[in-house]
Amino acid sequence: MTRDEIIERFIQNAANVAAEPVRVRNEEELNQALVDVLAGVDAVYCPAVTDREKAIVIPDHLRTDDYVNAAACVEEVFGAIAETGSLICSSQGGKIVQAGLLPPHHVAVVSAENIYESLDDFFSTLGETPPTNVTLETGPSRTADIELTLTIGVHGPGRLSIIVI
Amino acid sequence: MRVQLYGTCLIDTFFPETGEATVRLLRHFGVDVAYPKGQTCCGKPADSGGYTHASKKAARHFLSLFEANGDPIVIPSGSCASMVKNHYPHLFEDEQPVKRKAESVGARVYELSQFLVHVLKVHEAGLKGSGKITYHASCQLTRELGVREEPLLLLESLEGAELVHLPHADRCCGFGGTFMAKLPEVSMAMADEKAETILSTGADTVTGCDHGCLMNIADAMRRQGAGVKVKHLAVVLAEGIR
Amino acid sequence: MNSAHMSIPFRENSVKALGNATLRAAMKNATGVFTVKRADAVSSVPLEEWREEASQTRLKVLENLPHYVDEFESNARRAGASVHRAAGSQEARETVSSILRDRGIAKVVKSKSMVSEEIHLNSHLEQNGIAVVETDLGEYIIQIAGEHPSHIIVPAIHKDRRQVGALFAEKLACKYTDDPTVLTAIAKQVLRQEFVSARAGISGANFAVADSGTIVLFTNEGNGRMCTSLPELHIAVLSIEKMVPTLADLPKFIRLLPRSATGQLITSYMSLITGTRRPGESTGAKELHIVLLDNGRSTIVNGEYREMLKCIRCGACLNACPVYRMVGGHAYGSTYPGPMGIVLTTLLEGMNRAHPLLDATTLCGACGEVCPVKVPLPQLLRRLREQRAEEGFTPRAEQAGMSGFGLVSRNPTVFRLGQTVARAFWPIAAALNPGAAIKRLPVPAGRTFQRRMS
Repeated sequence: MTRDEIIERFIQNAANVAAEPVRVRNEEELNQALVDVLAGVDAVYCPAVTDREKAIVIPDHLRTDDYVNAAACVEEVFGAIAETGSLICSSQGGKIVQAGLLPPHHVAVVSAENIYESLDDFFSTLGETPPTNVTLETGPSRTADIELTLTIGVHGPGRLSIIVI
Repeated sequence: MRVQLYGTCLIDTFFPETGEATVRLLRHFGVDVAYPKGQTCCGKPADSGGYTHASKKAARHFLSLFEANGDPIVIPSGSCASMVKNHYPHLFEDEQPVKRKAESVGARVYELSQFLVHVLKVHEAGLKGSGKITYHASCQLTRELGVREEPLLLLESLEGAELVHLPHADRCCGFGGTFMAKLPEVSMAMADEKAETILSTGADTVTGCDHGCLMNIADAMRRQGAGVKVKHLAVVLAEGIR
Repeated sequence: MNSAHMSIPFRENSVKALGNATLRAAMKNATGVFTVKRADAVSSVPLEEWREEASQTRLKVLENLPHYVDEFESNARRAGASVHRAAGSQEARETVSSILRDRGIAKVVKSKSMVSEEIHLNSHLEQNGIAVVETDLGEYIIQIAGEHPSHIIVPAIHKDRRQVGALFAEKLACKYTDDPTVLTAIAKQVLRQEFVSARAGISGANFAVADSGTIVLFTNEGNGRMCTSLPELHIAVLSIEKMVPTLADLPKFIRLLPRSATGQLITSYMSLITGTRRPGESTGAKELHIVLLDNGRSTIVNGEYREMLKCIRCGACLNACPVYRMVGGHAYGSTYPGPMGIVLTTLLEGMNRAHPLLDATTLCGACGEVCPVKVPLPQLLRRLREQRAEEGFTPRAEQAGMSGFGLVSRNPTVFRLGQTVARAFWPIAAALNPGAAIKRLPVPAGRTFQRRMS
């Protein structure tokens, strides 16, 4: 598959599980997409771990350091997997994986070149000493424990937005 | 051509007309039917219960009746045909000569609808039929013998009859041999549900390839006071050659 | 506790279940939905190829289980985990409770774990003054109802929305509603508080990877993540057959487990947890204790029922089973219901207790067809029935009847005599035994087929 086909496949599969994937070409479009996605949100947690996270533009009055009670978490994730439409959230590099999984809205930025085509492609890179925590996140959280009626947003985020750059 | 017919203990004891229909059908298509005397039971009821000692006795007797020549063996029952074909060799794992005999006899076994479709091409013969028929797909027939299409091909070919699809056709009817005696309440609940599904199709006849199932379904129909006819596939097809 | 010695009254349980209209409707609905979803999810994949590969990987592990368990233990330790081996349920329970007691922890949050049911962990912890909060919504529901799970994937499947609504209204003192979305939101709010204040989390594991010491957790709710990376202490309990050799072996199970269980291509969350938080990291428990439970598996793996240990706990066989869908999970009277439950319960708890479960199958074969790792369930069930008969756990009358059957079936004259006798005495037998199977059989024919053919 070409890089474009991989990205397209990822976006298709992510959309199928009610994640909200969009594709942008540059930092300017990224910041615009963030403005759109975060409209009306007043407590955004954005870690400043990766370079891209440090460059993300979010007004200070909307920011919070408390990821437990934030309304949204905007972060760059390690990568993604096209086969399943999954994000790869990794503890590598000091990232706080749970910060993306506590607030009701997770906004994940992922680099197009970090999208793996298949599960095998990703898992074969892990070797024998993977990071402490690697979580594949596919769509928002959900349960169907009561009469098999699907409810979104238990216990993790009820809304997952993905920006592929 | 010639075949050897194994009647099965249920047909022999309770449903001889199915045996007669089978013979009539085969003869109509030019088959010479040999019927070895002294048939009893293939051993399935004992085998399912885990009584291998008893089922081996039945198996040895069966093999003794059918080992004589190389003719196809036709059996109007999926569970009996599978017992002989699939289970007999395993019964004799530690008796290689008998196991080999079981394998060679088993290789000649056809369940009836298999024989009618693959050897006699009865589904291309333009048999006649009438009414609305639905088909119950029994467990060993489908899952052990892999017979799924053949009965449907035969029924679809009946001119004048309408084949209606039975939802969950291959869901177990609750007979299970000794199961119906050991857990009768569950067995009847399963049979009742199968009967309800049959009734929901609007069919006037339900057919199948195994009398164990058909007996169980007929009993459920009786409990529900329903007038749906329950007939073995051989009977339905033989009616089409009158 | 006497019930451990009494055999499971499956027939009695099944009759009670059949009389429960709510349960029957719930079971038919749930198993129906799951079988359709599973069928859709596997319809355009090379399923047979995947099943065979998965089966081979599981067999490879089972053929050398001690090696993989040792390897896992050593690599988990290398990553910072403490590993405890527990020969049986009691040792496992006590290991968990002493870890918590030593740290003065009085409450734990828990992510769903069937093996924790197997060892009766929750009641043991409660008896030791440690409160357990189940966080999987289905487990939470049955916990506050004081029940056990009735399905290995959807524990509260036997309850309808009205029952859950009434339960919440009573136990959580909230206003009655039967809207699943509202009920879920109520549970979420209660449980969110528990997650963020918990000092310890307990989980199971779907798989354990030998060459990296990683444990793998699949959830849809995210509660698995919440229990294992928010608190400072994480205790994982898993049984030893859950091993896979390497991380590269996981994709084949990722492709099969969710599809087989719920028809999803993958669950919302899949976490790989390897050891404790490292210097410079901000994620991960500070302390990780892994309890490896044997509870008879070392013996099973060396015997003729080894293939049962391939099971990856997807529940597909439950959903396919025509008996399970009629009676639900509680009728099986043990941790594991349905076809895999019959086999595993007999192997873990013994023939004396479990033998009535061996009646709970028609050997229809539907379970074996859907198992993603090709556990030969119909063959295992049949072989256990053979063992049951050999060990004398079947009724005397049945044993006598089967001996008679052997005699009759090899002697045509006796067989025909038997048919004549049966025909003659049919009306009497039917009259004497109303309700017995004989009433459901037709009257024997006047002239047998053999007679007509001679």
